[in-house]
Amino acid sequence: MEKNTILIADDAELNREMIKFIFEEQYNILEAEDGEQTISLIQESGEKLCLVFLDLLMPKKSGLDVLDFMNKAGYINSIPVIMITGEATDETDEKAYEYGAMDIIYKPFAPNVVMRRSKNIMELYEKRIDMEQQLEERTRELVESKEKLERSNDFLVNALSSVVEFRSLESGEHIHRVKYFTRLFMKYIMQFYPKYGITKEQASMIVNASALHDIGKIAIPDSILLKPGKLTAEEFEEMKKHTIYGCELLENFKQEENEFYRYCYDICRYHHERYDGNGYPDKLKGDEIPIWAQVVSIVDVYDALVSKRVYKVPYAVEEAACMIKDGECGVFSPEMLDCFELARAELFAVTEGKFSFADTIIG
Amino acid sequence: MTVEEFYTEIGGNYNEIMSRLRTEERVAKFAKMFTKDESYNTLVRTMQEGNIDEAFRAAHTMKGVCQNMSFTTLFQSSYELTEALRAKNMDKANELLTRVTEDYQRVMDGISKYFA
Repeated sequence: MEKNTILIADDAELNREMIKFIFEEQYNILEAEDGEQTISLIQESGEKLCLVFLDLLMPKKSGLDVLDFMNKAGYINSIPVIMITGEATDETDEKAYEYGAMDIIYKPFAPNVVMRRSKNIMELYEKRIDMEQQLEERTRELVESKEKLERSNDFLVNALSSVVEFRSLESGEHIHRVKYFTRLFMKYIMQFYPKYGITKEQASMIVNASALHDIGKIAIPDSILLKPGKLTAEEFEEMKKHTIYGCELLENFKQEENEFYRYCYDICRYHHERYDGNGYPDKLKGDEIPIWAQVVSIVDVYDALVSKRVYKVPYAVEEAACMIKDGECGVFSPEMLDCFELARAELFAVTEGKFSFADTIIG
Repeated sequence: MTVEEFYTEIGGNYNEIMSRLRTEERVAKFAKMFTKDESYNTLVRTMQEGNIDEAFRAAHTMKGVCQNMSFTTLFQSSYELTEALRAKNMDKANELLTRVTEDYQRVMDGISKYFA
């Protein structure tokens, strides 16, 4: 709506007229003769108003009452107010400015000065409102393009991660579950282990990175990857190298400063490390293993235990939980076991199909 | 009677009003509007009723109008009356009302003469 209306509020018609004649050729003019009328005109025509002249002393409601209303109803930021007063007293002047008036003019009015000052103020507001709108627009665009990028990123990470599963004739569900379980763990880590200082944004990057944990399996020959039955010691040594292969693959596109790259790299390399140093490939111990790799490590083990694989039948959830706690699949940190307990019901619900996570897991 | 003669007669500031309003037609138009301003009548009525708050407001409005019209003499007496009412000094206010009435009458007479 075009803001081209000036509201003049003064109890004396002659005083209103003396401002009106300055502006009436270029602007629509509304007049109010008391405070109540001023407020109702602002409510009716607020969107059209580009300036309000406001007498301090008016019947029913004073100029300050009107300013107070404009503050509370939020008009003060979009409609500039110029106070009109007969005498300059520091007290009322200060109060008017404090209440958000942009300027004060004193009787008698000098039309040229009133015109000049008013135009300056209207221009200032116009520019400010325009800038605010531009900023809003720009922010909206940024948010949109960020969301778009995130969706594309998710899509690419998911597509890439499923390459390995596709080859091993699995459905891709494992990746989805690992992501979902990682998200659960990150939730509890943020809640109960603030010492890690994981932010929401970092957690979401870690969740995405978890999808890539087995990317190195692409370099493992079919004869080993698809072997139905136990691997020989030699084959197992080759299989273990998927952690290294994954990192080699990522290193081709190394981004030193990129946090997401760091998470992907750490998760690929360390998701088979164990808390007591008996994992592979680097035999890291305790806190040497980044927390995000520890998370993916335990959720990967849990999902492997409860899933059907070419070489084994699935374990029941309770049994899998016991095996993890008892260290039958390697030792996990007390914190990871604690998070496992916290997430237990949610983990079981997914595994036992009580919770159709496939719909909600996207992203 | 010219506008300048009118201002001299009622004790107003012709140069000031002309520097602001620029044309005599405009000054005359506002002078005519002044005759319709109700604040003097309201002032007299509310003073009779002893309603100090309303009398103060009326005097204040009248003072502002005179200021805008450069009716210096009437502005001065109505200004003093406004201050007396602000201080709730009724004796002083009643005394000043007589002066305001005289000054007001002179302005009203002058305006009628100008338009005659």
